[in-house]
Amino acid sequence: MSSERGENVVEEEPCKVDKWNGTAVKNALDDDIRRIFTKVFEYDENHSLIDNRLRLCSVACMFAIVALIYDYLKPFPESRSVLAFCVLAYFGMMSLLTLYTTMVEKNHFLVTNQKDAAGIDPSDTWCCDSYMKRFDDEYNLVLQFEDGKTKEKRESSITKSVGSWFDENGLLLHELFQNDVCKLHSSLLAEKKDK
Amino acid sequence: MVSFEFLDEVKRMNKRQLFYQVLNFGMIVSSALMIWKGLMVVTGSESPIVVVLSGSMEPAFHRGDLLFLTNYQEDPIRVGEIVVFKIEGRDIPIVHRVLRLHEKEDGTVKFLTKGDNNMVDDRGLYAKGQLWLERKDVVGRARGFVPYIGNVTIMMNDYPKLKYIILAGLGIFVLIHRE
Repeated sequence: MSSERGENVVEEEPCKVDKWNGTAVKNALDDDIRRIFTKVFEYDENHSLIDNRLRLCSVACMFAIVALIYDYLKPFPESRSVLAFCVLAYFGMMSLLTLYTTMVEKNHFLVTNQKDAAGIDPSDTWCCDSYMKRFDDEYNLVLQFEDGKTKEKRESSITKSVGSWFDENGLLLHELFQNDVCKLHSSLLAEKKDK
Repeated sequence: MVSFEFLDEVKRMNKRQLFYQVLNFGMIVSSALMIWKGLMVVTGSESPIVVVLSGSMEPAFHRGDLLFLTNYQEDPIRVGEIVVFKIEGRDIPIVHRVLRLHEKEDGTVKFLTKGDNNMVDDRGLYAKGQLWLERKDVVGRARGFVPYIGNVTIMMNDYPKLKYIILAGLGIFVLIHRE
C-alpha cells in the first residue's frame, strides 16, 4: 500500500470549500476521489455513464429549441402539430432521463477501468458511490470492485465524519482523505489475493 | 478587494461537469417553455394564461387576476361569454364580454364587445374603421381565474429592471451551484 502512494506523488491543488454547505463538501470529496483514482492509482476513467446522460439532456434541449424556432417561424395555429410532437418528445426524454439516472446511473459518480497488467484479461472495474444525508456530517463512500475475468463483485464501504478530512477553514486535507481511500481500496484488492 | 471565492467550485469543475451545468440551466428554461407550449396545444389558444391589466371588467375580474383561456374552434362564441381578443396596432390583448353577435349559416361570426365596467361599447377601442370583431381576432375565452396572482406579473411589467434583475440572479445561481 505504501509503495502505491510512494510511487505516484501528485501535486494536489488546495481545495477550499464552504464547510457548512453539505453539497459543496460532498462534491469536493467526490472530485478528490476522482483525482486519487485517475492520478494516484492511474486507472482510466470510464466516461460512458455521464456521456450518456449528457446526450439525453442535449437531445431534450434540442426538442425545446426546435419547438421555439418553429413556433417563431410559423405562429401558433399552424405550428400546432410540430409543437405537440416536440412537447411529447421533450417530456418523453425527461422520463427517460429520470429512468436512466435511477436505474442505470444510480449513485455512481465515478467508474474507472483498471487495465490488466499483462493486457490479456479484460480490465477490472471500479465503481464509486457516495452519499451524505442532508444536514449530516457523515460521508458514506462505497467502493465496488468487479473482476474483469471472473465477473465477481465485491464491495466495501466507509462512513466517517467529513470533519476528519477538512480543517477549520474548510480546506480539504488531501493526505488524510487519500489515506482512508487507499485503505478501502487495498482492502478490496487484498480480498482478491486471499482467494 | 472583491472576493470571487464563490466561483471556486465552478473553477474546479471539469469540462463534462461544466457542460452539464449549462445543460441543467437549459433544461430548467426548456421545461418552463415546453409546459407553456404544451398548454397552447391542449387549449388551442396562443396564450392560454393571461393577466387582467385593467378594471374595465369589474366586478367580474379585477386588475391582477389570472385568467385561464381555451380557444376550441368547434366551440361557438355566444353572447355573454368573456373573450380575450387582439386588435391590430395594439400589443396587449383585451378581456371583455360579448355584447352583440351575428352568425351566418356557414358559421362565420362578427361580434361586438364591451367591458362590464365601461359606459360604452368597444368600438372606440377597435382599429380605425373596424366595427366588428371576427373569429380570427379571438385569443381565447375565459374558463377559469385565480385572483391576485397576476399582480406579480403586473409589477414585473411596471418595473422591467426588477424582472431582469430577478431573472439574471436566478440564472447565475443555477449556473454556479452544483446539483
